[in-house]
Amino acid sequence: MQQRKGVERRTVLKAAGASLAVTGLGATATACGGGSGSGDGTVTIRYAWWGAEDRARRINKTIDLFEKKYPKIKVKTDFQPYSDFWKKFNTQASGGNPPDVFQNAIGFLRKYDAKNVLLDLEEQVKAGNLRMEGFRAGLDTFGEIDGKLLGVPVGSNSMALVIDKPVYARAGITPEMGWTWDDFDEAMARVRDRTGRAGDSGMYGVMYLYDLYLRQNGKAFFTEDALGFTESDLTRWWTKAEKGVTSGLFADPKKVAQIKPKSALSAELAGSEFTWDNFTVRYTSEGRSEYGLAPIPTTDGKRTGQYLGSLMLSASRRTEHPAEVARFIDFMVHDPEVARIMGYDRGVPATTAQYAAYRPTDPVNKAIAAYEESLVAADVLEPVTPHPNGADICEAAFLRIGEELGLGKRSVADAVEQFFDESKTALGS
Amino acid sequence: MTHAPATQARAKDAEPRHGPDTPLRPSDPKTRGRRENLAGYLFLSPWIAGFLLLTAGPMAASLYFAFTDYNLFDAPRWIGLDDFSEMFGDPRWRHSVRVTLWYVVVGTPVKLLVALGVALLLAQKRRGQAFYRAAFYAPSLIGASVSVAIVWKAIFSDDAIVDRTQKAFGVDVGGWTGDPDLVIYSLVALTVWQFGAPMVIFLAGLKQVPRELYEAADVDGAGRFRQFWNITLPMISPVLFFNVLLETIHSFQIFSSAYIVGGGAGGNACGPADGSMVYTCYLYVQGFENSRMGLASAMAWMLLVAVALVTAVLFRSQKRWVHYEEGGR
Repeated sequence: MQQRKGVERRTVLKAAGASLAVTGLGATATACGGGSGSGDGTVTIRYAWWGAEDRARRINKTIDLFEKKYPKIKVKTDFQPYSDFWKKFNTQASGGNPPDVFQNAIGFLRKYDAKNVLLDLEEQVKAGNLRMEGFRAGLDTFGEIDGKLLGVPVGSNSMALVIDKPVYARAGITPEMGWTWDDFDEAMARVRDRTGRAGDSGMYGVMYLYDLYLRQNGKAFFTEDALGFTESDLTRWWTKAEKGVTSGLFADPKKVAQIKPKSALSAELAGSEFTWDNFTVRYTSEGRSEYGLAPIPTTDGKRTGQYLGSLMLSASRRTEHPAEVARFIDFMVHDPEVARIMGYDRGVPATTAQYAAYRPTDPVNKAIAAYEESLVAADVLEPVTPHPNGADICEAAFLRIGEELGLGKRSVADAVEQFFDESKTALGS
Repeated sequence: MTHAPATQARAKDAEPRHGPDTPLRPSDPKTRGRRENLAGYLFLSPWIAGFLLLTAGPMAASLYFAFTDYNLFDAPRWIGLDDFSEMFGDPRWRHSVRVTLWYVVVGTPVKLLVALGVALLLAQKRRGQAFYRAAFYAPSLIGASVSVAIVWKAIFSDDAIVDRTQKAFGVDVGGWTGDPDLVIYSLVALTVWQFGAPMVIFLAGLKQVPRELYEAADVDGAGRFRQFWNITLPMISPVLFFNVLLETIHSFQIFSSAYIVGGGAGGNACGPADGSMVYTCYLYVQGFENSRMGLASAMAWMLLVAVALVTAVLFRSQKRWVHYEEGGR
C-alpha cells in the first residue's frame, strides 16, 4: 500500500510537471510573436538580402556604420542565395512575418504589391526620413509603381555583351556602339571559325536580352499585365537560336548545363555572353581570361533598347518601425562611406553622392563605370519595361524552356507553346 | 496490471467508507483509473498536440486546399476539381510522373537485388562477418541525409571523380548531375548504395530458413542455384514482399536527394531540363516557387492515392508468389 501510494504521488507530480512543460511551450510559442521594441527606445529591424559571403561581409560593415550613427536602431540580418531567398521570403511574407527591410528587384515589385506586402515609402519621404533626391539618370522613379514608392535603387546595372577579350582579339572583332544583329551573327561565326570556340553561350533563354530585342522593334517582353509579344515573335527568335546551336555559333547546351554553376564564358565554352555588366566582376574571379564589355547589337543601328536596371531596398508594410526602416534605407543609398565599402557589388551606386565617393581603381570596375557612362553619352537609355505580377515565374520558365530547346528536348513549336501556357498561368491572363 | 483483481476486491470492501465527495482518495479504483488516464494523456499531450497541429491539422487543410485556388496570400477560393484537371492536362506534370515511375521501376528492383545478393554473401559463415555486416549497413544510416546528397553531387558533377575516371577510360560524357539524361542514374545509384536496410531484413529472413531443407536438397543432388530458386526464394518470399512494399513506397516519396543532387545549380530545382524532376520536386516547385499551394495540395493527394493503389496491387499479388508457412496466415 505504502509503495503504491508513492507511485501515485510521483505520477501526479510528473503529470503536473508535464502539463507545466506544455503550458511553458505554449508560452514560449506566443512569446515568439512579440514585438521588436524594448524599454529604452531601442528598436530592432530585420534586414534580408540575397547574395554570397562576400556581399554579406560588405553589408555587415555598412550595418556597423549605421548602428554607430543610430545607436537606438539594431539591425538583424539574414541572407541566402537568390532563389532560396525568394522562397524563404515568400513563405515569411505569406505568414505575415516578412523582414522589415529587404533587397528587391523589378520583377517582384508588382507581385508583392498585389499581395499587400510592400510599404509605400512616399509617406516617409514626406516625413523627411528618406531623401529621394540626388539619384542618377532617372533612377529615383525606378521603384515607383502606380504612384507608390515601393523600392529605392541601390545601384544600377545594364545589360551588356560580356566578352572574352583575347578571344575577340584573335578573331579580329571590335564591337562598336550601334552594331547590328547581322554584324553580331557574323562575329559569332568568326569567333567559331578562327578560335574554335562558340561565339556565344546561348542567348536564347535570357529574358532580359530578348526584352531588349523586342524593345528595339517597338515591343517589350511584358505589358502592364501580360506578355508583350506573340507566339510568332518567339518562334522567330527560337528558330534562329536552334540554328545557332546546331551550327556551333552557340556553345553546346549540354556542356553549358554540366559546368553550372560556373558560367560558359569563364569555363571557356564561349567567347561572349549577354548578361548584366557587373557580372564581369564575378567572371574575372571565376575564369582565367580577361573580360570586357561590348555594346548590345541593334536592329536599326541606333536603338539598343537598354535601360538602367537596379537592385532596390524595399520595406514591409507590416513593419512596426517604418521611420527607422526609412532612415536605414536613406543611410544605405546616400552615405558615402557605404559606397566605399560596397564598391560595385550591387551595381554602380544609384546616388550621385555615392557615385562620387567610390571611384574604382581596378580595370574591371573601371570598365563597368566607363560602360554605363558610354550608355549615357550615346543617349540610348529608355524607361524600363513594366514587370507584371508573375514576371519572375515567366523569367524562370523562359530560361528553363530555352535550355530545353537548346538541349534538343523540345522542338521550337513545342517550346513556344509550353512557354505561353506557363506564362499565361503565371500572369493570370 | 497483475494486481488489479486484488485491488478491486479490496476497493470493494472499502467502498462504503468513501463518499462521492472524496474522489481523490487513492484507494478509489474508478477515480484512480480516471486519474491515471488523465496522467497518461498529460504525458502524451506533447505528442498529441504535435500530431494534431503538425500532422492531422495540416493534412485536413491540404485536403481542403486541394479543391481550391490558394496562393498563400489571399484566402483560398473553392474551385472544385479544377486543380486536378489542370494537373492531368499539364505536360510537365506528366513528365514528372514518367520520371518518378522510371525511378521506382528501375531503382527499387536493382536496390533489392543488390541487397539480396549482399545478404546471401553475408549470411555465410565466415570470419569477421559481423564487421562486414556493419560495414555494408553503414551507408544506409547516413544515406538519407542532406550531406550525403551534397557529397553525391560532388562525386557526379562535372570534372569530379566519376567524370575523370570515365575520361581515363576514354568515355567523355561529362558530369552526370548536369546531364538531363544521366542525372536520374546518379539518383538511382544513390538509392542503390543505400541497400543496407533491406539487406538486414533479408539477412534475418535467410537466417530463418531451416538448414534441414538444404541438407535434404543436398542429398537429392540439387545444385546451388536449384537450392536458391526452390528453397531460399520461397522461404524468404514474405521478407521479399515486405521489402518490395517498403522500398516501392519509399521510392515514390523521393525528394531531398533529387532536390539536392539534380537541383541547385542554375536555379532549376528539378535538374537540367527537368531531368530529375520527380513528382515531389514538381510539387515543391508549384507550391513554393509558383505559389500554387492549392495545386500542390492536389498533387500531394494524388500521390497518396497512387501509392495506395500500388500498395493494394502489391498486396493482391501476394497470393501468386508469397509463401507463408502453414499457420502463418
